Amino acid sequence: MGKQEDFVLRALEERDVRFVRLWFTDVLGFLKSVAVAPAELEGAFSEGIGFDGSAIEGFARVYEADMLAMPDPATFQILPWRGEGPATARMFCDIVMPDGSPSYADPRHVLKRTLSKAADQGFTFYTHPEIEFYLFKEQPVPGGEPVPVDRSGYFDHTAQSMGADFRREAITMLEAMGISVEFSHHEGGPGQQEIDLRYADALTTADNVMTFRTVIREVALSQDIWATFMPKPFTTHPGSGMHTHVSLFEGDRNAFFEAGAEYQLSKTGRQFIAGVLRHASEISVVTNQWVNSYKRLMFGGEAPSYICWGHNNRSAMIRVPMYKPDKGQSTRIELRTVDAACNPYLAFAVVLAAGMKGIEEGYDLPREAEDDVWALTERERKSLGIEPLPKSLSEAIAVAEHSELLAETLGEHVFDFFLRNKRAEWEEYRGQVSVFERDRMLPVV
Amino acid sequence: MSRSATTKGDLLRLGFRDPEAATVALAALGESRAPLLALLGRTADPDEALAGLVRLADVVDDRDRLLRALAEDEGTAMRLLCVLGASEALSDHLVRHPAHWHELADSRLGSTRPAAWAVREGLLLAVGADPQDRSPVATRPDAEAVDALRVEYRRVLLRLAARDLSHHLGVDDAAAELSDLAAGTLEAALAVARARVGADAGLARLGVVAMGKCGGHELNYVSDVDVIFVHGAASEDGAGDDVALRVATQLASQLIRVCSDHTGEGTIWPVDAALRPEGKAGPLVRTIASHRGYYERWAKTWEFQALLKARAVAGDLALAGEFVEMTRPMVWSAAERDGFVEDTQAMRRRVIEHIPAKEAERQLKLGEGGLRDVEFAVQLLQLVHGRADERIRPSTTLSALAELTRGGYVGREDGEALHEAYSFLRTLEHRIQLHRLRRTHVVPEDEVALRRIGRSMGYLKDPVGILDTTWQHHRREVRRLHEKLFYRPLLSAVARIPGDDARLSTEAAEERLAALGYVDPPGALRHLEALTAGVSRAAQIQRTLLPVLLGWFADAPDPDAGLFGFRRISESLGSTPWYLSTLRDEGQVAERLARLLATSRYATDLLEREPQGVRMLGGDLHPLGAEALTEEMLATSSRHEQPEAAVLSVRGVRRRELLRIAAGDLLGLTDVADVGAGLSRLTDATLEATLAVAQRAVATQRGLDAAPTRMAIVAMGRYGGFELSYGSDADVLFVHDPEPGADAQEAASYAQAVALELRRLLALPGPDPALEVDADLRPEGRQGPLVRTLDSYAAYYAKWSKVWEAQALLRADPVVGDRELLGRFAELIDPLRYPPDGISADDVLEVRRVKARVDEERLPRGADPHTHLKLGRGGLADIEWTVQLLQMRYAGAVPGLRTSRTLEALAAAREAGLVDEDDAAVLQQAWRRVSRVRNAVTLVRGKPSDELPRDIRERAAVAAVLGYPPGSSDAMVNDQLRYTRLARAVVERVFWET
Repeated sequence: MGKQEDFVLRALEERDVRFVRLWFTDVLGFLKSVAVAPAELEGAFSEGIGFDGSAIEGFARVYEADMLAMPDPATFQILPWRGEGPATARMFCDIVMPDGSPSYADPRHVLKRTLSKAADQGFTFYTHPEIEFYLFKEQPVPGGEPVPVDRSGYFDHTAQSMGADFRREAITMLEAMGISVEFSHHEGGPGQQEIDLRYADALTTADNVMTFRTVIREVALSQDIWATFMPKPFTTHPGSGMHTHVSLFEGDRNAFFEAGAEYQLSKTGRQFIAGVLRHASEISVVTNQWVNSYKRLMFGGEAPSYICWGHNNRSAMIRVPMYKPDKGQSTRIELRTVDAACNPYLAFAVVLAAGMKGIEEGYDLPREAEDDVWALTERERKSLGIEPLPKSLSEAIAVAEHSELLAETLGEHVFDFFLRNKRAEWEEYRGQVSVFERDRMLPVV
Repeated sequence: MSRSATTKGDLLRLGFRDPEAATVALAALGESRAPLLALLGRTADPDEALAGLVRLADVVDDRDRLLRALAEDEGTAMRLLCVLGASEALSDHLVRHPAHWHELADSRLGSTRPAAWAVREGLLLAVGADPQDRSPVATRPDAEAVDALRVEYRRVLLRLAARDLSHHLGVDDAAAELSDLAAGTLEAALAVARARVGADAGLARLGVVAMGKCGGHELNYVSDVDVIFVHGAASEDGAGDDVALRVATQLASQLIRVCSDHTGEGTIWPVDAALRPEGKAGPLVRTIASHRGYYERWAKTWEFQALLKARAVAGDLALAGEFVEMTRPMVWSAAERDGFVEDTQAMRRRVIEHIPAKEAERQLKLGEGGLRDVEFAVQLLQLVHGRADERIRPSTTLSALAELTRGGYVGREDGEALHEAYSFLRTLEHRIQLHRLRRTHVVPEDEVALRRIGRSMGYLKDPVGILDTTWQHHRREVRRLHEKLFYRPLLSAVARIPGDDARLSTEAAEERLAALGYVDPPGALRHLEALTAGVSRAAQIQRTLLPVLLGWFADAPDPDAGLFGFRRISESLGSTPWYLSTLRDEGQVAERLARLLATSRYATDLLEREPQGVRMLGGDLHPLGAEALTEEMLATSSRHEQPEAAVLSVRGVRRRELLRIAAGDLLGLTDVADVGAGLSRLTDATLEATLAVAQRAVATQRGLDAAPTRMAIVAMGRYGGFELSYGSDADVLFVHDPEPGADAQEAASYAQAVALELRRLLALPGPDPALEVDADLRPEGRQGPLVRTLDSYAAYYAKWSKVWEAQALLRADPVVGDRELLGRFAELIDPLRYPPDGISADDVLEVRRVKARVDEERLPRGADPHTHLKLGRGGLADIEWTVQLLQMRYAGAVPGLRTSRTLEALAAAREAGLVDEDDAAVLQQAWRRVSRVRNAVTLVRGKPSDELPRDIRERAAVAAVLGYPPGSSDAMVNDQLRYTRLARAVVERVFWET
């Protein structure tokens, strides 16, 4: 056992922790938790906690249900929302097989594998997500239309704003868990909020996104409101995305930065963008994994529908932000497709894999899109070589099924399970009769 | 000596490399040179020694006295020249401080070890501190004191080096003196630190505990000095705790700086406090109570291993001693702590898996067979066994090794050999470091340096060559250290070895086996006992073999099974004269045997039934050709009258060959295609010989002189395709052709009897895996007659043949029995299986329909459709049907497709452009991969299976057979899924044409 395990065991004593929640994430991105008493933790560090993998969505082939959760001591945190008295702590886990080999079904392992492939080439991958979500007055009721907590708009500052209070408490709690918040404000839709997390390596960020989603929902519950990361809860209001800024570092050097190059963007950076663009349709099923995700992507505004990049072009799928002089280390690109209901481990893994592919194969960066792509005609876009992203989950699945990049990155087990699950979701959705149809047809036919 | 005597030749003979320069230098020394020549010839580097002497003579105030002393006192001359010849750094020191040459004139150097207290006193006086004071404080100005400490340190070092180089000091003595010097230096450095801290210094007690080599009293010439600081308040009232902490921290960090700072007089060595609780993140100093709290609750096994070396050396010795006393019991109870076994296993792996160092080959410390190996292994044994036995607790490696040997924990000869090897390697390290006083553990590669080092160790003739041979010899000893230290002593626990009074207790042996990865130590001990009990020669040989085997077992997937299998084989071979001597004398046989036994149940079963097979492991493991096999089987069966006995002998040969193929496969020597071909050829030969026996038997039974009909056997299915696996049945068709004039009824009855007899003989219970002969693919299946005439086949195929039968015939390979009949059978079926214009569109649809039904129906209940090897997604059936459909459609036009073998047909299809390059490559790789996995599963489990093992240990073993490193069984599954997914995509396109 190393120093970090020691630290955790000591902290348990000092902080009077009564329960430790061991967290892991299923293939679809839902958080799973198992509580252990501190006394069991020492054993958990060396041997892991056994559980029945077949009970977890996407984990086990039925007959090999035995799996072990191995807590990662570097992720130890005291949970701040349990009030006074004995504390509860949490740690993220890696999933391993009984012989100690890492499970290919574990999304965290998918990301770790992809990161270590990039590390073999000398790169570390940093991400910085801007997470949007809606706050509603009440818990969802089947068939009911949700009511937002306010009617404000982008950056509005309203006195006594529910949203502002909420953000303050949420941010306090996030900071208490060691998650730094960069920025927060009211977003475009009524009741819609945005909170930006600080830059960190992709594994930490993915853990943070999982924690973030939990914290936000906990805080909302404590204030008797409801928070959702659903990509597009209203037809008429903007959807919630998770614009993600990414960059690669080689040691201490930002590999995307090159002084004097156009937009200070290095060859590596350009190839990375080219890779993400070329494989955007294939990885779409992971970055935008729900039926509902594709509704966010079809109305323009902040959400992209076309595969292109631009400099400060908010209609482009990838935006290269304005370069700030003397900030070579902060050179990065912003990917605008990802939504907040993704599995962050898988999403970061596929984005990295696509970008790395661009670097390995030396892809050329296509022309920059200078105009608002929404304003172009279909024919103009064609002539500029701007392709659309998949328009529905079904289209995304069809492209993904033939993606070697996706299969290799996710691993065979996750690839297979994920696509099967998504196909089932699409089939179920296809059979639904919607309010839209009834409203259209009942009156006239 | 006259001038003419010192010719160039003389100088070269004495070991000079540059006689011209030497002549000039000698001239510069004038009169005194003559007696020096012989002494120079015994130094490490005569040229450097002479050059150094000239330099020194030029700077000394008393040149005449120096030269006279050299001429008149051989001892002085020898010490000075040895130092000058071996150490450039000390030569430089002498030139900087010429007066120090007088140090070497001290004749006590040859006989007397300097007392530790005297060394300490000298160092304290150098910085102006009072050695009698309990807390001495330096009084000289700071910079002066720091320099003076360095000069005094080197002065003592100079004396020590002279003792070491010219008075044959033992390496343990040299190391101990270096440790004393380090201890005194720490004391003097602390005195300087006290002066720096000023009046406050008195507010804290600070004890310095040496760890690592310095703690173990076995320091190098140049190395980090590891320490742990312990402090306490100067007054008892406890009021000044915070102050004491602050002051002690200041003192400790100043002490570190005094030793490691570079000044005009250089540096001494870095002081490293990283072994303290919490390492670099923890506080530099702690109180006894704080140390105790940490070690009681948080410390890990490796930290107790480190504490083994703890020794109070400087500062407040009472306090430092208290620390050592406090930690002692914890060190010796470390073995009782939770996780000790896991930790020791990890530590053992650390011994085996060396840090990949540059120049690993020439690394003395971390390389394979290096010093770290010995030190770790000794410490591990001390922790495991020192709990119960106080005698083996010394902190010095060589002393501990001696005690371990005396106590029976290590065999006597092994202990002595390791002792010698360790001493040699340490001496070598010392001599390398001494040259420039640099911290290095790499044996240099250049000739000059190697020559100097070799000569300094006394190899005056051929120094480079002898140094290298000796080094390699000792390295070999150390490399096999695990065998000697870990495994060999286990035997003494179970066998009373004559003449060895000290032995490992049963408990100690079980502890050790568990630490080595054996799941059932008592069972393992019973096997060891059974194998080595007694005074027989066999038991004696086993005692030398088993330590090595135990190590090989431990590195394989199932050590316990390996040992148990070995016991059974050894018991059944008993005193067979060749058995043990083969294992002992041919290392390859033993290693291969160990790997087979601890990996494969299939191979273990074969070996148990046929222990003679062990002998074969030393030879070529590639499958034999069919001709040689057939010849041997025919010959051996003809020596037996009884058909049962004859076929038993045939099956004996088969059993042996099965082992050859399995062993070649498991050891990675035989390619998967060769395994399939080898098994098929073996079946050919077995059937050929058995057919002859059966024909003879039936003819005898019926009193016939000559057979009424000619018989042949057509290989079908995977057998016909040269793709048999270990557990496969042999699919066949029997065909006969009555002799002209023979009665048709009689001929048919005879042929039927022969076929039945053949199947009976091969299915008889015997010591080998029975060969199941399956004729279900015959016309009309089980309803049809077992044997048909050629004409009957012709009539049937002309009238009734279905497309699936044509497909089955693609795999027909007429091989066994009457040649001429086989030829005619081939002529008969070729038009059927290779229709000139390909099969009809309707037939193509029919093939696809049948495949669709097979996919649905044949998969066993509960099998995973993704990973079933034969019928699963992208499995063997998928690939083979794809290739066969291409054959049926195009073999008429493409002659290359007319083959019974999948991979050959696939290659032909690719060449003919029927499948593109990439698709063909995908199918080929997947087919090979799945076949390999299928074979590996059978080998591991001992019985055939078409599924990946569900048992995690078996799956790990399959991964190991396939060459995956430990801990990647799920990676193996992932790869399997990838191969088959890609294959399925090709099958979708090429077979289903979707």
